[in-house]
Amino acid sequence: MNRSGLFWTQLRALVWKDLQIERHTKQSIGIMLMFAIVAVVTFNFALENNLGAVREVAGGLLWVTILLAGTLGLNRSFASELENRPIDAMLIAPMDRSTMFMGKVISVSLFTLAMELILIPVFIAISNKPFYRPEVLLLITLGTIGYVAAGVLVSSMAVQTRANYVLVPVLLLPLSLPVVLAAATGVAQYMGLNKPPFADVSATFALVIAYDLLMLAAGLFTYNYVVEE
Amino acid sequence: MTKLNRWSNIFNWLAVIALAINLLMVFFYAPVELTMGNVQRIFYFHVGSAWVGAVTLGIALICGVLYLYRPKPLYDILGMASVEIGVVFVTMTIVAGSVWGRPAWNTWWTWSPRLTSITVMWLVYVAYFMLRGAVEDEQKRARFAAVYVIAAFITVIMTYVSIRLLRDIHPVVFGDAVEGVQAGAEGLQEFSGVDSIRMVLTLNVSVVAFSLLYVAWLLNRYRLQLLINRANMLKARVAARMQGDSLSVADAEEMRPATTD
Repeated sequence: MNRSGLFWTQLRALVWKDLQIERHTKQSIGIMLMFAIVAVVTFNFALENNLGAVREVAGGLLWVTILLAGTLGLNRSFASELENRPIDAMLIAPMDRSTMFMGKVISVSLFTLAMELILIPVFIAISNKPFYRPEVLLLITLGTIGYVAAGVLVSSMAVQTRANYVLVPVLLLPLSLPVVLAAATGVAQYMGLNKPPFADVSATFALVIAYDLLMLAAGLFTYNYVVEE
Repeated sequence: MTKLNRWSNIFNWLAVIALAINLLMVFFYAPVELTMGNVQRIFYFHVGSAWVGAVTLGIALICGVLYLYRPKPLYDILGMASVEIGVVFVTMTIVAGSVWGRPAWNTWWTWSPRLTSITVMWLVYVAYFMLRGAVEDEQKRARFAAVYVIAAFITVIMTYVSIRLLRDIHPVVFGDAVEGVQAGAEGLQEFSGVDSIRMVLTLNVSVVAFSLLYVAWLLNRYRLQLLINRANMLKARVAARMQGDSLSVADAEEMRPATTD
């Protein structure tokens, strides 16, 4: 089998493994979703049940919820690696570390997107804002991928330190702010009654895509040094 | 070590002299700016430290890449020192910018993309020390720091790009002629005529002075790290001796720290 064929086979196996674990334990998506809903309810009380205020900042609330739920998903995913140590088998396998990175990014992105699939209708119901627009969904998807890419890189390091999971939000939130900033700005531009012309939001798309590519590249090239032993 | 001491001394003095010249130029040589008046003089410190801060963090990135390529402790120490100094310069940039922003924008702070990005940058590089502090194994710490610094530099790139792509209140100094002219028209920059040559010269001296300061700090920090390493080594030896281990007198004599450099 040639190199790229091997990459895809291994990648599929890795993602399949995470999906299987999730199918049996039902923990990542469940915990993230529960947390997201609790967060949304908390926001409502924090904003004194003021629907107008919630509507004003709906895009921002959505992103905050995704970010916080995302760290939980990452924690859960890495905890399952360390509980029964499937990671040891992966480290023994003749496999590029970059494949492991991509596999983790894909599976955690899938879990986070699955959580968003339920979270977004909830937000539409509460705020009555057009989160269903395809451009908004695309921005959220792209933003999630960039966030998770940075998250996998950071979490892999954090779980090997003394501070463990506590370090994840401290490192990840600042590191992912550029992508969240751009994506949230883009989403906010689409929250009006009329769709803005694409020229107005193309910059935010470009920033989000640039961040995604840079973070994925950084992860692919450096993951080798993160999971050395 | 003695050689390092000499070089750090030389650069300490060079930095002091350059900063003194820079201060004199900022206050006496550079002309009073038309719209902003004397407040504009902060600009030389602000841009100087921002520029050197960005270069410093770039050097940290290079050290990180070099470390991953060939893990030598030197790269790790230089990388860490560069991040430390970079954070100081970025902090100086933020403080000086804030002081300038008060009369220029009538507010200490505003969440414009450029200001947001530099805040993000600051947070990212401060978090670098959290990561370092949490790893005990030296090699692992150096490796993680190198990886982190590469990921962190992405935020620096985003900082640079964001001002060009998102609309901003912050003036562009290094960059497009069009934006420069626009900003000039708003009285934010005055880069024309005799005045401008003096301003540009002062700015260049600022950048040189801050660069010298960076080199001086870097050498001092490197020296400090060598001293820390030696102190740790000595502490370990003393601890071993206090525990009354089975070291013979000859061994202890041999392990006594060298008194000469």
